[in-house]
Amino acid sequence: MSQDDSKTQGVDIGEFLEFYLLDSQEQIERLGAGLLQLEKEGTNISLINDLFRSAHSLKGASGTMGFTPIVALTHAAEDLLDRLRQGKMEVSMDMIDILLAVTDRVRAMLGQVEQRQDIDTEYEDLVQSMKALMSGEGLNAKSDAGTAARGSAPASSAGAAGSDNPAGAEGSEGVESSEGASFVPLDFALSPAEWDKLQNAQIMGHGTYQVDVTLAPNTLMKAVRAVMAAQRTENVGNVLKIMPSMEDLETGNYDGFSLLVISDEPPAEIREEILGVSELTEAVVHPYPAVEKLKASARGEAAQEVAATAAAVLSAPSSGREAILESSSGAAVKSQSTRTFEKTTGNQGQGGFGVRSTTPASAPATASSAGSGTNGAAAGEGNTQVHTIRVDTVRMDNLINLVGEMVITRTRLVQIGLDLKNEHRTDPLVNNLNETNVYLGRLMNDLQESVMRLRMVPIGTVFSRFPRLVRDLSRKTGKDIELVLKGEDTELDKTVVEVIGDPLMHLIRNSVDHGIESPEQRRAVGKPETGHITLDAYHEGNHIAILVTDDGAGLPLDKIRQKAVSRGMIGEREELSDRDIANLIFLPGFSTAEKVTDISGRGVGMDVVKKALNNLGGMIDIDTHRGQGTTFTIRLPLTLAIIQALLVEVGDEIYAVPLSSVLETLLVQRSDIKTVGGLPMVQLRGNTLPLISLQEKFDLPKQENPGEEVFVVVVGLGEKSIGLVVDGLRGQQEIVIKSLGELLNNLPGIAGATILGDGKVTLILDIGSLIQDLLVMRKSQ
Amino acid sequence: MAEEQLVTFGLGSEEFGVDIMLVQEIIRIPPITRVPKAPPYVEGVINLRGNVIPVVSLRKRFGMDKAEETDLSRIIVLQVQKKVFGIRVDAVTEVLRLDSGSIEPPPPVALGMDSQFIRGVGKIGERLLILLDLDHIMGGEMNHEFSA
Repeated sequence: MSQDDSKTQGVDIGEFLEFYLLDSQEQIERLGAGLLQLEKEGTNISLINDLFRSAHSLKGASGTMGFTPIVALTHAAEDLLDRLRQGKMEVSMDMIDILLAVTDRVRAMLGQVEQRQDIDTEYEDLVQSMKALMSGEGLNAKSDAGTAARGSAPASSAGAAGSDNPAGAEGSEGVESSEGASFVPLDFALSPAEWDKLQNAQIMGHGTYQVDVTLAPNTLMKAVRAVMAAQRTENVGNVLKIMPSMEDLETGNYDGFSLLVISDEPPAEIREEILGVSELTEAVVHPYPAVEKLKASARGEAAQEVAATAAAVLSAPSSGREAILESSSGAAVKSQSTRTFEKTTGNQGQGGFGVRSTTPASAPATASSAGSGTNGAAAGEGNTQVHTIRVDTVRMDNLINLVGEMVITRTRLVQIGLDLKNEHRTDPLVNNLNETNVYLGRLMNDLQESVMRLRMVPIGTVFSRFPRLVRDLSRKTGKDIELVLKGEDTELDKTVVEVIGDPLMHLIRNSVDHGIESPEQRRAVGKPETGHITLDAYHEGNHIAILVTDDGAGLPLDKIRQKAVSRGMIGEREELSDRDIANLIFLPGFSTAEKVTDISGRGVGMDVVKKALNNLGGMIDIDTHRGQGTTFTIRLPLTLAIIQALLVEVGDEIYAVPLSSVLETLLVQRSDIKTVGGLPMVQLRGNTLPLISLQEKFDLPKQENPGEEVFVVVVGLGEKSIGLVVDGLRGQQEIVIKSLGELLNNLPGIAGATILGDGKVTLILDIGSLIQDLLVMRKSQ
Repeated sequence: MAEEQLVTFGLGSEEFGVDIMLVQEIIRIPPITRVPKAPPYVEGVINLRGNVIPVVSLRKRFGMDKAEETDLSRIIVLQVQKKVFGIRVDAVTEVLRLDSGSIEPPPPVALGMDSQFIRGVGKIGERLLILLDLDHIMGGEMNHEFSA
């Protein structure tokens, strides 16, 4: 169905788009990761089933939203996976390549959807190559295609094509099946008025039908589907009632719904109309019995029918074994997926019509694996609830803000308590207050920690994209490399996770390109041909350490040294430790690669990595051993919302300097400060350190009688360091970073603000911009 | 007849009014942190229950002389176009209703201050009330810069 089509259905897809995107991106990630695993493990039927299901639900959701290109791609991928699943094809490199390409393409398309653009990504080529792959075994497939239970390619493609041409090809089949199998009318829990309507319609000679609609497994937005079906049905008749209710349908786990329809059109017409909605795998139209008949049996069979589904299957006399198999397979499909399931009245009609229905592939094909499923399994579905919720980050940030505020307020409370104690030392009330304060403090700590944890996400979400990267790169370079992931559960702040990906990717590319040797070289030095890159993460106090280790050749320290000397970065005779030399690669414009490759030699050097990490308040270090490999260690603060800061005094003002950029503090005699080219400098261990006087920089009032000595805070960002001249040091403290608001954004030298224990606002210095300012001033001199 | 509800305040010898719907709260003067390199009329930032908000000195904005802080000095916290900021005034006088009919457009030569801040002049008997156009108080030029 096209986007326009869904609009004519009167359903606003906008509000579902967000949900669709989240879910689809998740499915794509799952597909990507699964494919890599599949490549390693070969034929793993449960894995293939998982992949198939991901592709299927992606296709279904995209169909509902009207994104035809995604449907086309995922549909072909689904077919391919289906062949795998049925053992008609073997897992091959080519197949994995194509399927991975599909995930890339779909990801790109989702990107376009997210940008509210039209999808213009090419996809026919991939569809064709998938078809070509499948046609390699086309002859075998045909012989099986005849059996109805198999959702072989033609049948399932017809089901999916329903999204394009509403009238499914298998039109009349479902109606026939309704006649063949037994049918027990569903109790629609009609209100008296609705009863009257039904009765009147029957008296007037209109047809009354119960339409049992089956949803494809894992269908999203079931209620929307039901609404769309109902709206379509309105074209041919009247919908009296939908069971279950919209709310139940959306929140519960139903695999179908039933419509009570009054219509003069033939059942096939109704069915066709309904099947125009995608993700509806089957609609079976039963004539709904006359009202009197229903009422008569209400206390008997029908009531029982409503109550228990397992019973329904058993009591369906002529449905026989196949129906039971069908129904239990349905249950099995559900039990394998992660969602909650609740068998309720909504899907009880199934036993009656399921036998000959042409559902797209998924349910029947799992029938074999679900053969052991029993009726008991169907009835005994547990109530496993989903244990995660998605929350808007703005709400979360607000909560964190409030907790931060409470922490500050408590600090003030403590101060008041102490002041009171000084005045009324013996008053038991004061002691009570202080004890309560201590207890409150503990609670606040716990609360703060819990709230901060809300923002924590496992770093595995970043790591998960690298196996694919390494796989692609190693194929490109002809190297044999295995990526080992460790510590994926290590949690860190969402904001950090969002930005750490690129630097890590750069390091990994670097390890693949420069670190790991070619298989021949490795063999020559007696190493196993397969190189290993290990990604590891663990907590280290308030920091997280991320290690990228390779067992490659190690850094060519002598070469690095030569190059640094030739570029004048270091003196020829300068004494440097191995570690110092290794760290030279982080200097801008440094690249030792003999040949420029498209993997790491893109002119973006390690300096970019270092800069990105420094911006996050992080550090990177190298440990390298010739012939044994290299380890890059990244240390990052767990969160960007709270940082350690050094509080400095300038006149009456207090400023906060992020501790991550503080290198050291010095006590300097005023007489030692020399002016070079109009700028103050001080000698520090043989180097000149440019100084900035915060008092001058910020136009603060001059101190009346400045002392002989001043404090200099040496701050560095990357390779540049400068000294900040301040009047005093107040010590180190954890501060919560707050924005100055858009009205005072982008002030030079100010990164933000924080609120100290006394409730006063203190500004946080932007070291990066201060250093840059100074460099600009120097150049202009 | 339509009427407006205004919060009125004094600044030197003049009396001003702002639309009450824009007023979030009125507070005593807390410690104000000076912000270097900020526009001169920005007195600094304050902590309003955990939120850092800028405070504009209306005296500076209107080119008046500096005045000592008194017991009557207040900060009126406003929310204009989703931006929260405070204006520092000498004293908050009252809350009153004013018929739209008794509001006149700003005089061409506006009381010695920049007319872009003035929306009109309200008359209550003998009293003249300068009605502020708050959109421009907090840096009209900045609005453009940051609206993108």
